[in-house]
Amino acid sequence: MGSGILNIGQSALAAAQVGISVTGHNIANASTPGYSRQVVTQAAAQAQNFGYGYVGQGTSVATINRVYNELLNSQMVNSQSTSVGIDTYASQLSTVESMLSDTSAGLSPTLNSFFSSLKALSANPSDIPSRESFLSNSQSLVNRFNTMGNRLNEIQADVNTQISGSVTAVNSYATQIARLNDVIDKAISTTGNQPNDLMDQRDLLISELSKEIKTTVVPQGQGSYNVFIGNGMPLVVGASTYELTTMTSPTDSSRQEVAYVSNGNSTILSKDSLVGGTLGGLVQFRSESLDKVQNQLGQIALVMAESFNDQHNAGFDRNGTAGGDLFTIPAPTSQLKTQYDDGHTPGNATLGVTISDATQVLPSDYKLKFDGTNYTITRLSDNTAFTAGVLPQTHDGLTFNIASGSMVTGDEYSVRPTRDMASSIKLAISDPNKLAMAGSASTGKSDNTNGLLLASLQTAGKVKTSAGSTAITFSSSFSQLVGSVGNKSSELKVTGESERQVLASTKNAVEAESGVNLDEEAANLIRYQQAYQAAGKVMQIASELFDVLLSLG
Amino acid sequence: MRISTNTIYSEGISRITSIQEKQVKLQEQISTGKRFNSPSEDPVAAARALDISYAMDVNQNYAYTRKTAQNYLNSIEGNLQNVTDLMTSAQSVLVGAGNATLGDTERKFKANELQNKLDAILGIANTQDASGKYMFAGFKTDIKPFTSTATGATYNGNSNELLLQVDSQRFMPANAAGDSVFQANGTDVFAALTDIINLLNTPITNSTEQATFNTGLTTAIGKMKSGLDNVLNVRAKVGSQLDELDKLNDSGSALDLQYQTALSEIQDLDYAQALSDVSKYETIMEAAQKTFTATSQLSLFNFM
Repeated sequence: MGSGILNIGQSALAAAQVGISVTGHNIANASTPGYSRQVVTQAAAQAQNFGYGYVGQGTSVATINRVYNELLNSQMVNSQSTSVGIDTYASQLSTVESMLSDTSAGLSPTLNSFFSSLKALSANPSDIPSRESFLSNSQSLVNRFNTMGNRLNEIQADVNTQISGSVTAVNSYATQIARLNDVIDKAISTTGNQPNDLMDQRDLLISELSKEIKTTVVPQGQGSYNVFIGNGMPLVVGASTYELTTMTSPTDSSRQEVAYVSNGNSTILSKDSLVGGTLGGLVQFRSESLDKVQNQLGQIALVMAESFNDQHNAGFDRNGTAGGDLFTIPAPTSQLKTQYDDGHTPGNATLGVTISDATQVLPSDYKLKFDGTNYTITRLSDNTAFTAGVLPQTHDGLTFNIASGSMVTGDEYSVRPTRDMASSIKLAISDPNKLAMAGSASTGKSDNTNGLLLASLQTAGKVKTSAGSTAITFSSSFSQLVGSVGNKSSELKVTGESERQVLASTKNAVEAESGVNLDEEAANLIRYQQAYQAAGKVMQIASELFDVLLSLG
Repeated sequence: MRISTNTIYSEGISRITSIQEKQVKLQEQISTGKRFNSPSEDPVAAARALDISYAMDVNQNYAYTRKTAQNYLNSIEGNLQNVTDLMTSAQSVLVGAGNATLGDTERKFKANELQNKLDAILGIANTQDASGKYMFAGFKTDIKPFTSTATGATYNGNSNELLLQVDSQRFMPANAAGDSVFQANGTDVFAALTDIINLLNTPITNSTEQATFNTGLTTAIGKMKSGLDNVLNVRAKVGSQLDELDKLNDSGSALDLQYQTALSEIQDLDYAQALSDVSKYETIMEAAQKTFTATSQLSLFNFM
């Protein structure tokens, strides 16, 4: 009987000790990221029947669990990848926005000085200093376009770097999650108990992964996780992993695309399958904003340069010679697709694209496909297709022509007519005498007829923003560009803010359930301390009872 | 509801951070005087502000061009003023030359006097501006417009008008071609003066010659009168253009003011509001900091 009491006391003492350990562990990890508080589940030990009734046999620690809500956590992971995705997009776009809108570095002040000096020159066309001034303002305008174009190219390169960094992170998380899956699985099957801290670590990795890309977790029976990313591509299945990788785009050699590796084959992922997180945000920023801004800025540069060239060619310079080009305009970029899903081997043709009428050019990319009989030219901004049985074909002010070689069935070309214009237009004239301000060859040095016509381009509608739209002036097209970037940026700020609120409230809900409250732990500490003291007392009494028996003898 | 200790800290900090964000924003607004500093804060207004300031610049460009036109026209007017004076005094010399009591010698003096006037008028017709351009040569401002000949002067310039865009719709001629000033409407001032000078230099010995002289003098007086009319016509035109430029300047400044007002309405900061917000957020910040320290210091461990 006495040893029974001693055993009961001892079980209570041990349980209190476990309680103090767990409380201590909670206190120690109160600020550990991803930590879920742990609780001891105690159960009464199996009672013993003595005929007169069941006498309790003390207590036992049934299990130590972490307080974890799967639903809340999956909500948090989801909201986190949405929130990070929007924030990534917004922060990238704000770089573009501040570059475009800078009052001293933006296009507007340079454009204005350019036209001011042109007007001053057309009031005094024979004056060499006025000619020099217009020439240097033309150079500044070209420099401004170049600087902005190069900056956008840098941002493109930066997106490439960030994408590959993000892909590396995803792969590393995948490996770590798979390893933890394995360890957790083994732990549970050998001990039957959950390794709480390892599971917390795995959930933390899932949360980190969701910052890179949208992550979905499907828990498996034994305790291992299957992890899917983006629009449901498996990344971790049990202890095995799949990989993401980066590949040079087959249609644009300056671009890195995200590819999914399965069975040793890499497939490039479309932007629709890369959703959420840094990766989703970057890919979305690139396709929805950066490319468009580059195309639009390039279009302004192109239309401006071409309109000035046309008018300048119509005039005569200070020596009475017919005017040449004022700006040098590069040829539009076109590239043969290098890699095809069906393993097609492309032909050797070079697709030549020339600008036949800049004022008809739209800020869009194009795709040309040859099916053996017909050439299909698709305008990618609105997916309008033009089909013809023969080249050359002229659409949207662009002439598509086979410059050399021959196409084979299945060949595909991508054409980016305005993408690189801003960064590569140049000034064609360096001699101020060659500026063609005169309307005819022999009217005299003060003939400003062509100068007036050049200056009138300031208020002429030349830039078409979409098919069928009315052409607008250079400055309006630029302010429209700034406005549309600003609109998108403000939309992202608003949705980003609301997503942050959602994330904060789910995080709070998770914390409310799983986080450590030190006051609560302090109370638990007191409780287990008292339980320990009480258990000690029980054992002391059992010992005294035993002494009573001994003293009888 | 359970609150984790982490939440107490993170919430407290995020509140303080969000107030700080607003304070920084206010400070930026106050120091720049603008309601927004990036287009995303108000995209519609930002695009509108760009358009307006560009229109404002274009309007200012017209003002500069008007100034140039005014300079050109003023110097034309100044020179033609001199031409008018010279021609008026030439007329009075002609009237004096008709006096029947004058002998050949006196007429020669008159001829010399007129020759001086002719040279002076020719000099003005060949005037160059500060940058060396001939003012009365049409577009051929690098070529001396008048070369004197035995019978007067030939015009080497052309009659092209130097148009300047002085307003969105107005292209104004800012030069006067020499032929339209001195040789217009069948009256060549230089030829008329040369003719009468030759006549004055010719001695009169009989009544036929006297009659020829009298006819020549009458013709010369008539031609000088219509020549002066031509110059005065040009001056009247220049004067009305200068007047028009003044009016365009007025409407240009009015437009500039309108643009400035519109721009200020779109982008200027309401300082009273902003400054009152500053003190509001200061109070909120102090309160948030106090409650944060008060809440975070409460712990059961303090009583153990």
